[in-house]
Amino acid sequence: MTAPRTLFEKIWSEHVVVTSPQGEELLYVDFNLINEGQSFLAFDQLRMEGRTSHRPQQHLAVTDHYLPTINRDRGTAGMPNPEIRRVVEMMDENAAEFQLPHIGWSHRDQGIAHVIGPELGISQPGMLITCNDSHTATHGACGVLGMPIGGGNQLRHVVATQTVWMKRPKTFRISIDGSLPEAVTAKDIILSVINSIGVGGATGYAVEYSGSTVRSLSMEGRFTVCNMSIEAGARIGMIGPDDTTYQFLSGRRHAPTGSDWDRALAYWRMLPSDNGATFDRELTFDSTTFAPMVSWGISPEDCAPITGVVPDPSSIADLERRRHIERALAYMKLKPSMRLEEVAIDRVFIGSCTNSRIEDLRGAARVLKGRKVSVPGMVSPGSSAVKRQAEAEGLDRIFVDAGLEWRDSGCSMCNGSNGELVAPGERCASTTNRNFEGRQGRGALTHIMSPPMVAAAAVNGRITDVRQLTQE
Amino acid sequence: MQPFTVLTAVAAPLPIAKIDTGMILPGRFMRRHRRPDHDYGEAFLYYLRFDEKGQPRPDFPINQPAYKDAKILVTDSDFGCGSSREGAAFAVMDFGLKALVGPSFADIFQGNCIQNGIPVITLPEAAIHDMWRQLRAKPGAEMTIDLPSQVVVAPNGARHSFDISPLRKERLIRGIDDIDVTLEYRAAIDRFEIKRKALLPWLPSAHRP
Repeated sequence: MTAPRTLFEKIWSEHVVVTSPQGEELLYVDFNLINEGQSFLAFDQLRMEGRTSHRPQQHLAVTDHYLPTINRDRGTAGMPNPEIRRVVEMMDENAAEFQLPHIGWSHRDQGIAHVIGPELGISQPGMLITCNDSHTATHGACGVLGMPIGGGNQLRHVVATQTVWMKRPKTFRISIDGSLPEAVTAKDIILSVINSIGVGGATGYAVEYSGSTVRSLSMEGRFTVCNMSIEAGARIGMIGPDDTTYQFLSGRRHAPTGSDWDRALAYWRMLPSDNGATFDRELTFDSTTFAPMVSWGISPEDCAPITGVVPDPSSIADLERRRHIERALAYMKLKPSMRLEEVAIDRVFIGSCTNSRIEDLRGAARVLKGRKVSVPGMVSPGSSAVKRQAEAEGLDRIFVDAGLEWRDSGCSMCNGSNGELVAPGERCASTTNRNFEGRQGRGALTHIMSPPMVAAAAVNGRITDVRQLTQE
Repeated sequence: MQPFTVLTAVAAPLPIAKIDTGMILPGRFMRRHRRPDHDYGEAFLYYLRFDEKGQPRPDFPINQPAYKDAKILVTDSDFGCGSSREGAAFAVMDFGLKALVGPSFADIFQGNCIQNGIPVITLPEAAIHDMWRQLRAKPGAEMTIDLPSQVVVAPNGARHSFDISPLRKERLIRGIDDIDVTLEYRAAIDRFEIKRKALLPWLPSAHRP
């Protein structure tokens, strides 16, 4: 009889090809997603070494980081910045030369890699998936071991060998139980967790999210939770597959069919953590205490419930924390103890691999329906398929009628590598994952929150408790 | 990748602390293809080596004729700090350097250099300062790096032993990178793939994205 094992342990051990004396293990990569950011370094080096791709069909290149979200109909000529255009073109060239399937800028399914992997049914329970992007844990919501890799050496290694050397992380179960209060979303769950354990709180761990709150989340909500694992320091974040997962996958393009589906389902049902499996660390949260969250600082842990205030550094005993808060407030141009609801904003952004799926757009549209925004902003759906669905539901009209721009899909203003930036000194309410200094552009002031909260901020021109709008 | 054993070559002093990866490979070069005839050699320390008009700064150490054939750079502390951009190691390599010696190096940068066959050797500050003095007194002087014996020989013949992990040392001496190491397990990977395909035949493959 084998000892009870966790979801992570089952999937990890099934992928070990070789154990090295140095403590790293050679893991088999079932599937690798590639974006254009820095990946050309890997391909340039492979080319100089005369190496080729070992299993090209187990890769999918996706153009998402550098692609502008406007003027797609004009092709690469619609990308005015020559350096950005060049990076997009290099992905086209590298994918072709290394014979890697590619969803490029003109593909019908173009979108953000972490949105389209699940959408196409590629992200299936029990798989090990890598991507040269720090938010690869997103796929963990499907019961996948999703791991970020470096865009240079590690990507080059995965392309050449279909394997990666990794040191096995410890295990950490974060259980969240209870019903969710009104207007509290998956984004608020994960921000509450990060606020509690800190941006280094899960460093060195593979996190499994469990508990009744997580079970009751839709797949969209689960993607949001797993997506921000890295903001708590964890490269891996996962949720045991269940009927919600299987229903989501059923019928998708790359999902198994017929007798394969039955076999796959039987296999998937063995993956969740066994009763009695032990984790290196465990924490539990009561979701009935959660509230809509807003960031006030320059790190994702710098956030508070919308009913709260900006912290006063002079009341913080810990010297290091006090200095951090002082620096954060100076950068964010905020005063100690001011109410979060008093903070006026200049712009909003709805999008990114964290919050750009259909449910996110519906949540924002519910708030904006029949209202006008007070500040400019844009909505970038997570994929072209999400865009089509939103348009079929009339969500695009709600956004446009409210005064927001309805854009194409891409990473866009989350980090601005496609040139879509928040201007210096501008304050942006954003559904993205990082509020680092300069993340959305040099001198940009970012407040991260859920899509309905961003919509509420857009309406009032200041950070707003969305419940005031929805309860009217 | 070239094996590295014993190298005797011209060494250049670079007594500037905290040269970060953005100085080693300025951002404007990062969005360009790296090809054998158009590599990152030009980009290496570009804004330190060239002025605003693109003219070489004559006073910058490695611009001087005596260091034209330098293959060893004797750096100051924290060389390679800053972002993890992997292109910085390529710039070092493409410039023609074969080894770096200094008081301290950033971790990730060090790993990236070794991955590309360039030993990055840490020695005490006093020894480094002594080497700078000798190299400036006699521009174009040679030094020796004996990796198997783990010794750096200064221009005046002084021998300085250094530490390196056995794994990294072996990779450098054999001239293998992590892909070469992995390919020694080729048979195990092949067996794994056959077994996995038989057990989970439904796993996705993307020939129709």
